[in-house]
This record gives sequence, structure tokens and C-alpha cells, in this order.
Amino acid sequence: MTDLLNGAEDEAFRQEIREFVTANLHPGTRDKVARGAPLTREDFARWQQCLFERGWVAPAWPVEHGGPGWSARQRLIADEEMFRQHTPPLPGFGLKMIGPILMRFGTPGQQARFLPGILSGDDWWCQGFSEPGAGSDLASLRTRAVRVAGGWRISGSKTWTTYAQYANWIFCLVRTDPQAKKQQGISMMLVDMASDGFTRRPIRLMDGTEEVNEIFLDDVFVPDDQVVGEINRGWTYAKALLENERFGIGGIGRSKHLLQRVREMADAAGRGADPEVADALAAFEIDIMAVEATTLRLLNAAEAGARIGAETSLLKIRGTEIQQGLTELMLEVAGPAALPERESEGAEAPFENAAYQFLNWRKLSIYGGSNEIQRGILAGQVLGL
Amino acid sequence: MIRLDPPDDGVTMLKETAERFVADRYGLARRGEMLRKPDDQIPVHWADMAGLGWLLAPVPEAAGGLGLPPVQIVALLEVLGAGLVLEPVGPVVMRCAATLARALPDAEAVLAPVLSGGCIEVMAGGEEAAPITAMRDGERVTLAGRAPLVVGGAAARAFWVVARMESAPVLIRVPLEKAGVTRFRLVDGQAAAKVVFDGVSCDAGEVITGCAPALAFGADMGLLGMLAETSGLIDALYRATLEHVKLREQFGRPIGRFQAVQHRMADMFIAREEAQSMVQLAAEAMESADTGFRARLVSAARIKIAGSARAVLRDAVQLHGGMGVTDELPVGHMVKRLLVLTQMGGSRATHLKRFREAA
Repeated sequence: MTDLLNGAEDEAFRQEIREFVTANLHPGTRDKVARGAPLTREDFARWQQCLFERGWVAPAWPVEHGGPGWSARQRLIADEEMFRQHTPPLPGFGLKMIGPILMRFGTPGQQARFLPGILSGDDWWCQGFSEPGAGSDLASLRTRAVRVAGGWRISGSKTWTTYAQYANWIFCLVRTDPQAKKQQGISMMLVDMASDGFTRRPIRLMDGTEEVNEIFLDDVFVPDDQVVGEINRGWTYAKALLENERFGIGGIGRSKHLLQRVREMADAAGRGADPEVADALAAFEIDIMAVEATTLRLLNAAEAGARIGAETSLLKIRGTEIQQGLTELMLEVAGPAALPERESEGAEAPFENAAYQFLNWRKLSIYGGSNEIQRGILAGQVLGL
Repeated sequence: MIRLDPPDDGVTMLKETAERFVADRYGLARRGEMLRKPDDQIPVHWADMAGLGWLLAPVPEAAGGLGLPPVQIVALLEVLGAGLVLEPVGPVVMRCAATLARALPDAEAVLAPVLSGGCIEVMAGGEEAAPITAMRDGERVTLAGRAPLVVGGAAARAFWVVARMESAPVLIRVPLEKAGVTRFRLVDGQAAAKVVFDGVSCDAGEVITGCAPALAFGADMGLLGMLAETSGLIDALYRATLEHVKLREQFGRPIGRFQAVQHRMADMFIAREEAQSMVQLAAEAMESADTGFRARLVSAARIKIAGSARAVLRDAVQLHGGMGVTDELPVGHMVKRLLVLTQMGGSRATHLKRFREAA
């Protein structure tokens, strides 16, 4: 696969990343990522510990908060190279979402209290945004927080909460002013998941995993010092949160990793030289290249002072279309070998996770703002329709 | 090294000049008049384009040009493409001059009459399956074969024939008088030529050999020029369609308020952005010394942009509704030009193969 970022300095940086990963990534984790097998909390936590000790756990954070001081270009290279070396992609709820929000809108006390745990992995965060009645129309959320002495009491429910079973903290959007217009009565609060009145129900997904959960809050107390920024400004913070690391949403490293796996499967199935498969793989490689080139172009424009905002929705749309397309090619290549149940007697490498990955990755075009929502954002905010 | 930086001042100035030029000189009615000129007449603005330095721009300084980097040139060609200009800047300057500058020791003298805007000379090659051949017999070399479609060839005074001689590519200049030229129009109205070279002969000393790298480079530059024009047209169609859906009202509101239309426009925006990225990427790759990298990226750009062009063409017509299928709006003319550009320059299969094999 052609590396676009291949200058001499880029190569030296790649080499540094590669050597570190080779020396530190747990072989069991590496093997799982290489095969597309499900990962456990331990896989993530162990790797986060390695990165934390090296000072690389939060590539986009400023140095004063514990970031490595990498340029945007280096961050893209690091992401690509780590995927290539089969590192587990760390969930971003702490590192990419609430961490940067606390740096920008949190109090010094909140920063001192929460940022170290996000970096070290001692705290595991999850996201309490979606509700059963508020998905794409997130601003219609109904979970309520009522003012009490010293804080707030939250009642309601949240859903699609990824890895809540591993988490001890959740950042929630809650309605604090039921009279205000939709977006204006929402606040963001940090909730200790060990609080009284907090319960969780795992949701079993069609691929058999329990990645997501339903959360119930029954009069859960949140002290004032766990409110982010100002009351009723939560929608602003949520939008800022979704814009964090927006140049990474094309998932270039992830796409390249999957492309490599599909290529290996094609070879294993004896179809690597089949012109139809070879052309399809080449076309996906070119599609990934276009997302990468567009990412770089937008990123450079932003660094040169251009206002790049909603344009990055295109990266999410194209990135997820490519990834889902690749899972379909994976099925095409695997044929019936994709069908035996995971870890059953019939399952054979390297095809044993193909069907599960196809099923699991249907989520990509739904989460983080569905691709329909993203097209709506482009049409409304960029095209002015 | 790939950078994909935002346009610098040089690019911005070049684009502004070109945009003014197109606005002043072109427009549907004026272009219509130009199209009614005889097939063999050099398009009227050719000399003025030379005066602006555009024809010298991409030619290396060693060959008497300005040596501007490809990233600047593509910005110019995007504007000319969007403006539907009829002067064959791509075929003559990007393809022919780029090749000759690297193939001929006396390129400056050979190119001067063309690049000063006085005349037109273009490359002429056979088809993939039927290349033109050159047979050597003592001190004479005789050609056989034809170039079925030479864009910019209708007004050319000479053709630089790419032929195979003793299984190596060679280059032979054939003046108009010796070639069998048939002129005709393409679907977009521009003049082109079919040129038959059967029996044309020359002295063996006139045959330029050892020019394979120059031919490969020139072919990629020519392709890059077409990709830039395509990208410019994609942008123009996107903007025309966006304006249309904001103005056109049905059911009591602009059709751009309907979600089905909005999502198609979002996809058109994505196609435009990706096309621009790939043009810039290929332009930067042309400066790489790694010929495999260059070949891969130019073919990748061609595949991506041709796909984007087809999608944008379809949606631009569809969203314009009935007006989209007339000859009365720029859209129809842009669509036809886009069709010409995407039908040329090698098939998708050819480029996919080259992309894979240049790895």
C-alpha cells in the first residue's frame, strides 16, 4: 500500500512508532486485532498503560496537559502506523471527547481531578447522550436534572452507551430547563457511576457482543462541581465535543488496516489474483487515498487559518462507506467460510470473524451522527440549503 | 513529498487572471460563435493565451519555459476547464510540450513557434490494441497505422507521432502535408482529427529514440491536464446545480429544501472535494523522482475523478430537470465536455491495472 506521507522525517517518525509497538504490544492483543476478534477491557487497558508510560496516549492533547506535542501530520502517521501494527484503537470517550471539553470549558479543579485519570486509564469514561426517544434528534432528550441543595438530581435513561460495563464515569446531557427551547435547556454533567440510583442493562447486539448498554438514572445526585461549564449551555459543549479531532473521523488507519485484512483473506481463499477481486481492492485503496488526501488538504487549510467546520462530515461519510464496503468485499472473498459461529469447531482462520465484522460495522454509518444526519449537516451548514 | 498545502499567492493570482479571462472572452453565445469557425482554424484566443504566459508555464526553464510546478498549472487548467475553453492547452502544452521538452536536445527551438502562440503541434498515437508502427529499411523509416482521435489536431501544422520501432517507442514529427488528416467535431462541438500515417516515411536520422521516459512523463502530464479540466468542470457543475436548487421553486419552496435533493447535493459536494484533492495529489506526485509512485497516483486520480465526474454529471442533469437536458444552459455543454474528457485518457481497467502493477 502506498504511504502518502513518506518524506524522510515521516519515515523516521514511522520507524519510531513501529519500534515502540513491536516492543510493547501484548502478542495476544495484537493477534486479536489482526484477526478482527472482539477485544476485552484488559486488551485496551494494557495498551493504554503502555502508551501512557511513553507519553503517547493522548496525541491531540496540548503538551501542558500531557500530550506528546505531535503535529497534525504526525498524528495521522501515528494513527496509520499503529493500526498497521495491530494496536487496539482506544475508545475515545475520555481521551477524545470529555478530556478536551474539560480542557476548554472545565474548571481548573475539574481538570486537576479528571484529566490524570483519563490519561492513565484509571478512570474509564462513557457517553450519556442518546436516549430511547432521542437518537438523530438528540436535542429532544428528556432525561431531567432538578435543582437540589448542593447540586442536581437526575432522572431518566440513556442508551447505546458503549462500554458502560467497563466505565466508572459517564458524561451526560440532561434537561435543566424544560421551559426553554429544545437546545437551550440542556446541561452537561459528569456522573459517578457508583452513585445511588444508577443501573445498567447490557444490550446484546446482532453480532453477539454486548458493546452497548442502557442506563437508568433514578434520582441520581450530582454535586455542583460536576457540572461542565454553565448550566443550560450543554448543547454548545456537545457540539464542540463532536468537533474534537474532526480530522480523524475519516478513519484512514482503520480503513487501511481492514483493506490489508481483506487482501490477506483474498490470498488465503486463493482469490488474490482474481482480477475482479484485485480490481475491487485497488478501487478501495484509491477511495481511501482520496479520503486521506482530502483530510490532509482540509487540515492544512485549517492550520493556515481557513474556517473548516462542517466540511469534515464528508470524511465521516466517505470513511464509513469505505469501511462498510470493505466488510462486504470481505464476505464476497470469504464465501461460506464466513458462516460458522465464532469460536465454533467449524470456524477457520482467517475467515472466522468476517461475518461478525460485517454485522458489527453496520453501526459505523449510524453512530456519531448517522450518515443521513451528516449529509444534512453538509447541506445545511456548508451548502446553505 | 506530498503536502497538499492550501493555494499560495502564485496559484491564487493565476486563477484570478484565468477567471477574468474566461469571463471576458467566453460565455455561451461567444463560444457558440467560435464553434462555427472552420475546423482547421486555430481557436482565436491561442495567441493571447501565449501572451499571458500560460503556454510557457509548465515547460521546464531549460526548454525555454517558465517551469511552474504542476500544482500551479492544474489550478489554471481547472479554471480553463470550467470555462469550456476551446484552445487545446492540455493536449499541446501539458502533453506535447512536456514530452518534447524531455525528449529533444533542441526543445526550445522546436517549441518556440508553438508556445509563442503562432501555431499548434500535438502528439498523435494509435490505440492500445493497434499502435502505430515504424519500419526501418536502410536509411528510411516508414510509418503504418492511424491516430483515430487527436484532440487539438484539427488545426495542427504537424503531428508528433508515437510509434513502435523494433519494439521500442519512438517519436517522429510528421508535418501536416504528409499526413492524411480528416477533420470532424466531437459531441461537445470542438474540432478534432483522425490522422492516417500509412506509408509516411522519413530519414532514419529524424527518428527520436530513447524517449520512453519522456513519453511516459508527457502522457502523465497530459492526463493530469485532463484531470484538472475535469475537476474544474465538476466544480462548475456543482456550483451551477447548487444555485439552481436554491432558486427553482416547486410545491411552494426551493427544491433545495427537500431532503432527497439535499442529500444528492451533499454527495456532489463530496465528489467535488475528492476530485480537487486527487488533482492536487497527482500534481504533487508528478514532482516525485519515483516513477512508480507517480504512475500509481496519477492512475488513482484518474479512476477517482472519472467516477466522481460521472456521478456529478448524472446528478447535475437530474436536479436541473428538463432544463438540464437542453442545449440552452451551460449545464448541457459542461456535461458534454465532461463526457469527452472522461472517455479519453485510458479506460478504468487500464488504470486499475497500472495502479496495481506500479506498486
